Amino acid sequence: MKYPTDLKYSKDHEWIKKDGANFSVGVTQYAVEQLGDIVHLELPEVGASFNAGDPFGTIESTKTVSDLYLPVSGKVTETNLELAESPESLQNQETGEAWLVKIKASAPESSELMTAEQYEKFISED
Amino acid sequence: MAAHFKGRPILKKTSLHDEHVALGARMIEFHGWSMPLSYNSVIQEHHSTRNDCGIFDVSHMGQVFVRGKNAAAYLQYVTMNNIHKLTTGKAQYSALLYETGGFVDDIIVYMLEAEHYLVCINSANLDKDVTWLSRHNKNFQADIRNASNLWSQIAVQGPKTLEVLGRLDAKLSQKVRDLDFMAVTPYQWQGVECYVARTGYTGEFGVEIYLPNTIASSFWRASLEAGAKPIGLGARDTLRLEAGLLLYGNDMNETVNPIEAGISWALDLDTDDFIGRSALVDYKNHKSAPQRKLVCFKLNEKGIARPGMDVYANDKLVGKVTSASILPSLDCSGGFALVDAEASGMLQELEIDIRGKRKLAQIHKRPLYSSRTRLPS
Repeated sequence: MKYPTDLKYSKDHEWIKKDGANFSVGVTQYAVEQLGDIVHLELPEVGASFNAGDPFGTIESTKTVSDLYLPVSGKVTETNLELAESPESLQNQETGEAWLVKIKASAPESSELMTAEQYEKFISED
Repeated sequence: MAAHFKGRPILKKTSLHDEHVALGARMIEFHGWSMPLSYNSVIQEHHSTRNDCGIFDVSHMGQVFVRGKNAAAYLQYVTMNNIHKLTTGKAQYSALLYETGGFVDDIIVYMLEAEHYLVCINSANLDKDVTWLSRHNKNFQADIRNASNLWSQIAVQGPKTLEVLGRLDAKLSQKVRDLDFMAVTPYQWQGVECYVARTGYTGEFGVEIYLPNTIASSFWRASLEAGAKPIGLGARDTLRLEAGLLLYGNDMNETVNPIEAGISWALDLDTDDFIGRSALVDYKNHKSAPQRKLVCFKLNEKGIARPGMDVYANDKLVGKVTSASILPSLDCSGGFALVDAEASGMLQELEIDIRGKRKLAQIHKRPLYSSRTRLPS
């Protein structure tokens, strides 16, 4: 499994992609594989503000529900409603393809976020 | 209780355990057993069973043989259905009850021949049931043999079951074609005596095969070669929820009685005495205890209902979800909820509290999804 090097990764298996002052946020393929069939996504309202590390939504598979944690602090500017309509499509996408929310950052990203190489090492030890 | 080694439970393995591992199944702990949750995708496995043919290892279920001249009288005393209505070669859904009318377990009783019965019990209740069965045998002296460690159980379910069985053994598919729903017949696989029953837990046409451990792997492999798809416990749960079939431990337990659970059709109060009968007669006549009802529901909105979630009607807390999931054939979530009978009688709609958000649900008569459970034409 290859993880794009232009993304940063959290220990909770979210990724962020920087686009000027904004970030796209998604979940990694590793997380999707661990969850199994994805059947439901609960995303926040546009305009909601979160601190880094806050739960901002949920992702559900046939067996479990998991919180989604925001890797950066900021305000939600857009949510991927198309993906929320067909969450199962997450299973067929590479990491970085399907974003969940777009965030206008209110603080610099944490230095604890991992590079692709660090993340691959992290999940190999998981 | 499960044994432990260095703080971790030692899980029991079915005789097909290595087959599941070889197929790359995701294994989970289930009531002390190591069982396959899924081989690939729960949803794909669900649809394979609805549209094609699925094969399930259900060897964790318990098998108890009851024999002897008092076998029928004994089973009448410990089960809630009318054992005298059961004839040779037929199966009967029933339950073991406490004196209070609450469930010890729900079971299937197969009459194999005169004075010879097979009782299929839930894996989670094995020790409890066997103790219970022995304790109430004093006045009957029936020959009770717990054969759970020696027998395996494989379910073959789905509309293509006969085709798969035909490729396995033409004699077997002919036998199954001639077998009524809720009937059982002896069968030999590789010269070894087994039982084939037209029972199941999916709502599809299919069979459950009871076979000694020694030949389970060979039958399993032959079924896969004949085109059956392996199905894990994940899809077993979504299939039984759609079919409106109960799960002991979730939908009922010692605090729930069969009238509340909505299986009065398997309860016969107008027969010889049995354990739990007088409590149920009281419950029916005096309506003393608070009346509850296990209802089936479908969620009208997006979201997934889960066991333990609160259920509201007209803004009043009326009960809890007992089991629920995504229902792949209905493209929504749903399951069972135990609610105040008044709420279920008066209303068609409930609200399920999903992590603080109330979602609308429709009460639905069982089953949520129906398909042909009789012989396909």
